[in-house]
Amino acid sequence: MPRKRFLIVLLLAISLSLLLFGCGTDQARDDQKPGVAKGGEQQQVDIIRLAGGDWGYPSPYAHYPRGPGIFKMCLIFDGLLERDEKGLIPWLAEKYEIKEGGRQYLFTIRDGVKWQDGKPLTAEDVKFTFEYASKYPMVSSYIGSKDIEKVEVVGDRQVLITVSEPNAAMLYNLGLTRIIPKHIWENVDNPKEFTKPEAVIGTGPYRLTGYNKEHGTYRFEAFEDFWGPRQRVKVIEFVPVSEEILAFEKGEIDLAGVTPDVLPRFQNDPQYKIVKSPGFWGYRLLFNMGDYPVLRHKELRQAIAYAIDTKELIEKVARGAAVPGSAGILPPDHVMYNPNVKQYKPDLQKAGELLAKLGYDKLDERGIRQNQKGEKLSFNLLVSSGEVRLAEVLKEQLARAGIEIKVQSVDMKTRDARVRENKYELAITGHGGWGNDPDYLRERFAGRSRGGISPSASGLRGYNNDELNNLLEKQRLEMDDQKRKQLIFKIQEILAEDVPEIPLYYTTGYNVYRPAKYDGWMFMFDHHSLTHSKLSYLERG
Amino acid sequence: MEYLFTIWVIVTLNFLLPRAMPGDPFLYLSADEGQEMARFSEEQRQYYLEYYGLDRPVAAQYLSYLSDLLRGNLGYSLYYNEPVSTIILRRLPWTTFLVIAAVLLSTVFGTILGSMSAWYREKWPDKFLFFCLILLSEVPAFLLGLVLLFTFAAGLGLFPLSGAITHFASYSSWWEKLLDILHHAFLPVMALTIARVGGMYLLSRNSMTTVLEKDYLRTAWAKGLPKKRIIFRHALRNAMLPIVTRVFLSLGSLVGGAILVENVFAYPGLGHLMREAVMVHDYPLVQGIFLVVTICVLLANFLADLVYRKLDPRIGDYSGIHGG
Repeated sequence: MPRKRFLIVLLLAISLSLLLFGCGTDQARDDQKPGVAKGGEQQQVDIIRLAGGDWGYPSPYAHYPRGPGIFKMCLIFDGLLERDEKGLIPWLAEKYEIKEGGRQYLFTIRDGVKWQDGKPLTAEDVKFTFEYASKYPMVSSYIGSKDIEKVEVVGDRQVLITVSEPNAAMLYNLGLTRIIPKHIWENVDNPKEFTKPEAVIGTGPYRLTGYNKEHGTYRFEAFEDFWGPRQRVKVIEFVPVSEEILAFEKGEIDLAGVTPDVLPRFQNDPQYKIVKSPGFWGYRLLFNMGDYPVLRHKELRQAIAYAIDTKELIEKVARGAAVPGSAGILPPDHVMYNPNVKQYKPDLQKAGELLAKLGYDKLDERGIRQNQKGEKLSFNLLVSSGEVRLAEVLKEQLARAGIEIKVQSVDMKTRDARVRENKYELAITGHGGWGNDPDYLRERFAGRSRGGISPSASGLRGYNNDELNNLLEKQRLEMDDQKRKQLIFKIQEILAEDVPEIPLYYTTGYNVYRPAKYDGWMFMFDHHSLTHSKLSYLERG
Repeated sequence: MEYLFTIWVIVTLNFLLPRAMPGDPFLYLSADEGQEMARFSEEQRQYYLEYYGLDRPVAAQYLSYLSDLLRGNLGYSLYYNEPVSTIILRRLPWTTFLVIAAVLLSTVFGTILGSMSAWYREKWPDKFLFFCLILLSEVPAFLLGLVLLFTFAAGLGLFPLSGAITHFASYSSWWEKLLDILHHAFLPVMALTIARVGGMYLLSRNSMTTVLEKDYLRTAWAKGLPKKRIIFRHALRNAMLPIVTRVFLSLGSLVGGAILVENVFAYPGLGHLMREAVMVHDYPLVQGIFLVVTICVLLANFLADLVYRKLDPRIGDYSGIHGG
């Protein structure tokens, strides 16, 4: 009976393998009880779990250069200032003074602050940090090697920082630099490779009590001797997740980012709260005006702006989870956003008029505009593979205005390198940080730039507007917030008129959480993530 | 000697290829959607390029890479900030575990099912198995992974959603820990197994069919040998040769094969790491991972040679070593 034998062997093999692998038990997580409110105090919770993944050892020098790595480090390390919903607030410095028209900053260091190893924080630590960070740039670096002229300790508790030139963004940069303990770091000369347990001793509200690189887990415990507001979350655990939404639904994590497609699952259910993130992550359409003189015509760039229907882009590509780009560059959620700048509503007629004015008044057999000399409006658009959908919709829209777009898709690093080296005609890039200090407008559009997110290290080639340059320089020196805001408003007007680049849209993700478990989540004024704010985990006054 | 030459060629390619990609590890102009980057100034970029010696001529970098390699030093990861060897050694066991389990299971099942099919050739069990397994073999592993994840982990709650172990758990015994690891590995291993079993099935079905028609089997039947002996000693043993080849070749693709499944289950293996390393242009890590893969392939070839000689007496001492 060979037939039966084989079937029996097969059955045996299957059942054996099931026995071997299937007998693990389902480990229920019953330690996730909602926090209990105590008296009049704000509700406290024992443990919060969030989506993990490896973002590096959370020292200011060893984490990976991405958002989740930065903010984990910030749970351990404090700056002189901190960010709340509206702006900068005193933190390790209880107060500060800007002197000499922005050349000097006098910080008064808070008394009674302890490092997590029990030693007291001193003004010497602060002085040491700025000198050390000028020599060895931190991963998320706010100060360059030549920004600070000298740092002096004044009296017991004050630190006077003299900067090499006034800059309105300097307060932010100095305030957010993470203060590190001198007694630990003074003998370290390869900070990036210094990953001993002492490397994660800060003054912050949380201590690192567990980190596993290959599994991507972190465990942070409230630091008992923390000087500041009481921690509302006693333990924060980061665990790897495969599908964030599934993990959230099963209670494995307590907050998840949701895409618009699955939003209905959580809507109209009192168990969940949905919060929309501010739009501080944006896509930009760049023009290489340096190498392609035709792009230097303001009218051409304006016509392109009129031809683009950002609403359609948002519907089709971002599934509605974005706000249209503002021609003034700064996004609507920015504290210095000017709502009254010229905006380019989709208008093919206006686009056509502008192009005709430039001489592109004839159409070829494919419907592409050309001028007397037969020069066609046809451009190569360089994008990374993740932006192909966006580029294709853009191509269709511009085709309606008689502008031909040829999409070139490469990997992200290649695109970045080619943009950096000006080897492109039109390009799309995307990044965060649009909520930051508006001095980034100077980095993008004035000649003097320190690099970073600006497309070219030498500033924007082929574009020059003296009035804009003057204003960009002036706002840098203006230490009065209100007066500076006026200047930034004016700058946005000029940018909206000149269209040196087109912000396409700023993405706004959705976050969902269970308020009964924990409801302390907040956004910092310039950032789009709830979990990245330190104040999300602390008691608020 | 042949192996050494192969290794040298591959090491050199591993060195050159990542550097041929445009951009450098410290160029950050953009980020994945929704992802924030650290503020990275041009000055900082220069600092790091100098720090890691990436501003030196390529020839100088190559020489120091070779001399480091000879001393067993794989270098220091630019992105992950740890010695490359440490990173790889911590993850290799997870991937090895997944892949070996999947290869074993898919070989066993594939061979059994294939032999059954060959035995019942053109009858209904054969047709039925053929149809099912062809269907399964066309489904990519990650899709299977997702289906398994949604039904068995999310829907039925039988298995954990992700990871390789329960995090921050304390085990009372090694037995408990082993169970936990097996419990986590079940779905990823199943996904890989199901994705591979089709190929194994087809191969063994073909091979077995050919062998069953051979003269020596007719002789065996005629001799009146017991059925068991005929199937296992005469038929299967001869049918095994191509299967063994296939097993060792698939061992070679050890690291790459599991990438997608590792991603689906957030499993801490090498595959995911390799993808990341290439994306961020982490030269030392890319070189390290490729080297490990190379060594795996060569090792698998070497083992295949050894096993072949055991299985097939015709390949004797004269065959020498097959080059990689």
